[in-house]
Amino acid sequence: MDETLVILILLSLCLGAGCWLVFIWAVKKGEFDDVERPKHRMMDDD
Amino acid sequence: MNMSPEQVCSHCGISFRWKAIIDIAADGSNVVFCCRGCHGAYHLICAAGLDSFYLRSDRAVPTVGEADVSRYTEAELLKHLVPEGDVCRFDILIHGITCPSCVWLLERMMTRMTGVESVSISYSGGIASLRFDPAQVTPLELFSVITSLGYTPRPYSADQSEKDAKRERDDLLLRFGTALFLTMQLMAYSYALYAGYFQGIDGAMKQLLQYVSLLVTTPVVFYSGWPFLAGAWRSIKTAAPGMDLLIALGALSAWLYSVWALFTGQETYFESAAMIVTFILIGRLLEISVRRKAMSGISSLYAAAPQRATLVEEEGDRTIEVDAVRPGDLLLVRQGERFPVDCLIVEGATEVDQSLATGESQPVLLTTGDEVRSGCVNVAAPVTVQALRPAGQSYLMRVAALVQMAQAGKPILQKLADRVSGWFVLAVIFLALLVAAVRLLLLGDSTGTAFMAALSIILIACPCAMGLAVPAAVLAACSRSATLGIILRGGDVIERLASINSVLFDKTGTVTCGLPGVVQFDTYPGHAGTCVLQSAATVEELASHPLARAIVGYAAEQGYRPESCRDFCSIPGRGISGVLPDGRRVLCGSLDFLQEQGIVADLDQQHDGSASAVLVAIDGELAGRFLLVDQLRKGAGDVMSALVAVNMSIALISGDHQLTVERIAAETGIAVARGAMTPNQKLEYVTELHEQGRRVLMVGDGINDAPALAAATVSCSLSDSSDIALENADVIISENNLMRIATAYHISRATMTIIKQNLAWAFVYNIVGIPLAMAGILTPVYAAVAMTASSLLVSLNSLRLMRFNRHG
Repeated sequence: MDETLVILILLSLCLGAGCWLVFIWAVKKGEFDDVERPKHRMMDDD
Repeated sequence: MNMSPEQVCSHCGISFRWKAIIDIAADGSNVVFCCRGCHGAYHLICAAGLDSFYLRSDRAVPTVGEADVSRYTEAELLKHLVPEGDVCRFDILIHGITCPSCVWLLERMMTRMTGVESVSISYSGGIASLRFDPAQVTPLELFSVITSLGYTPRPYSADQSEKDAKRERDDLLLRFGTALFLTMQLMAYSYALYAGYFQGIDGAMKQLLQYVSLLVTTPVVFYSGWPFLAGAWRSIKTAAPGMDLLIALGALSAWLYSVWALFTGQETYFESAAMIVTFILIGRLLEISVRRKAMSGISSLYAAAPQRATLVEEEGDRTIEVDAVRPGDLLLVRQGERFPVDCLIVEGATEVDQSLATGESQPVLLTTGDEVRSGCVNVAAPVTVQALRPAGQSYLMRVAALVQMAQAGKPILQKLADRVSGWFVLAVIFLALLVAAVRLLLLGDSTGTAFMAALSIILIACPCAMGLAVPAAVLAACSRSATLGIILRGGDVIERLASINSVLFDKTGTVTCGLPGVVQFDTYPGHAGTCVLQSAATVEELASHPLARAIVGYAAEQGYRPESCRDFCSIPGRGISGVLPDGRRVLCGSLDFLQEQGIVADLDQQHDGSASAVLVAIDGELAGRFLLVDQLRKGAGDVMSALVAVNMSIALISGDHQLTVERIAAETGIAVARGAMTPNQKLEYVTELHEQGRRVLMVGDGINDAPALAAATVSCSLSDSSDIALENADVIISENNLMRIATAYHISRATMTIIKQNLAWAFVYNIVGIPLAMAGILTPVYAAVAMTASSLLVSLNSLRLMRFNRHG
């Protein structure tokens, strides 16, 4: 029982850490630099 | 009037009406291009031997966009290079990019050069980012290639403040992302611990969960919460208590208490330390994005100013930087160009589109001796002008200065909020110390119990539920309004929008479309309507004036197609003439124009001057009359009655004639109409209303509205407004449906109600919690359960906004 929980906790931490690394990569790559522009794009003529 | 019939670009094939770039093909026929990109692409394709597409060509270099690279020295350009491994990065701001084929052409041309590794150009910003080997190609060579295609390159480097702002934002985003990830993990352990508290839990398991909680909370408090810790330290040093101090105190004490509890075998309180930091970071991120908007508004105003001017000298014309223009210089402004500085026309007459400056919907005839403001567009004919002021003091720059001043005036309310929370912080700290002292000295409690009670008070008072109360409602409101076609910029906009009681509308381009439409067409005795309409459309087809376009459009609606017309002639500001295929001569224009041409004409029927009249004469005889007015936008009348229904006072302000403004006001049901206002007067009017204690919503679309937009409590623009207005707008309405202004107001009211409910709950939580904590009854685990439950309640309450559905 205890071991299962320990494994599950470690697993969830690893999964979360994976997402976190993707997030850091996205910030560094500049994915969040311009969150304004994309939503205006639908109003552009072309 | 400008003679620009519809043309088809020889390269990309789109039809366009603006000034074409005309080239001559080898067989002597003309080829026309819509832009330099198409023209350049044509050259490129021919040069690459793909000219089977087009006729073989041997043509003159177009005169547009002549730029000399000699301005830049090699050494100057080398300063802008950023070394990246073996190659260098070089950012270039390129002027003149108008269509995707410009981007295609530039990218293609530059990647072909030896030594260039990669090129990427952003279409919207016109910024090219190049990677190249400086040993094989010099920056000056890159510049000459861009110049030879007719574009104007300049070295680009994001200015320092922009870079700092980006670093600050990225830093905060990383801290927030980390906090969010760890807090989510933490909540899983916390729920297990709550369950364990109530249903019983194995001691070892409890310890394990608490240790893991400590592991994930520590980075949240000390890494993600670092800005608050640093801010708290600053406020201690400067003896100015602020929200940072309370947040830092709350988070730190919750963490310290939990560590102590962990080692003494009691219930821990880690989740509140982590949640405080996470929720407050959401608020900070929203705030930063709003501040960023304000900064970009001013830079786009500078971008609207022309960069170059054509100096007229005895030895010929020369293109110079606009900064180099001195008062007294003679400048040539060609048709379609913007006036580079404030100036006086010394030779020629033309029609000038002043809508950016005055809001007047139609081009105005200006002649020798008239003053023109910078940024206005020369519509009809080339003129020679004399500069009055240097570029730095021009009209556009003065507007920019006004905007900057008005924006700087805004954050006073924010300072007030900081001061109030300062008192709250002091009161909480004082209360905590008082309770500790009373317990220790009067009640004779142990030091540990007294310390715990004091910490409980700080924890309970922490703005955790309060921190969530506002952002949760704001996020829900912003996403709901986005689906309704309303873009709200930040949470403070909602608060200000809900408080407005006055609405000011700009006329041209806001309440009206900014384009005239035919409202009445009459014929004079002896002329058939069909014949007059057909003749007028045929001649007007060749003119580019907005009134002419409206008449052609009206004729097309009635099913008339223009025929071919010859001997077309246009007199700026007066009218046009042409000869029909059957030899009849047609004159279209103002009353004065027809009288000058010797035609007996008067406007006989009631005509108050609020509509523009275009008279038509066929073979010297008055035949017909068009009345044109600027047309109302969709929802214009409805929005006024919807706003009046909620007791708004509404005014229409415009740079246009008083009569026109009054007519539009009467049509839409606006009580106050003020015409002939300059941007500065609009700004003063807003300030005046503020002084009377009104909270003003300004709806506008042009550069001339920018100062008033920036000064108003809330500013609103339509999605097709000028960039400068959009950048300054707190609220943007899409699809140009004015009715959405009323919807935006109602959604902001609904949001404020939800926020108040959330805050009331948070206060009740504090009011009940603080005395309990003072009495020492509230044990940490009950507080933790209550806190998560109240956070959930606040979130669910906020989500009710997602179902908001009131259009009026």
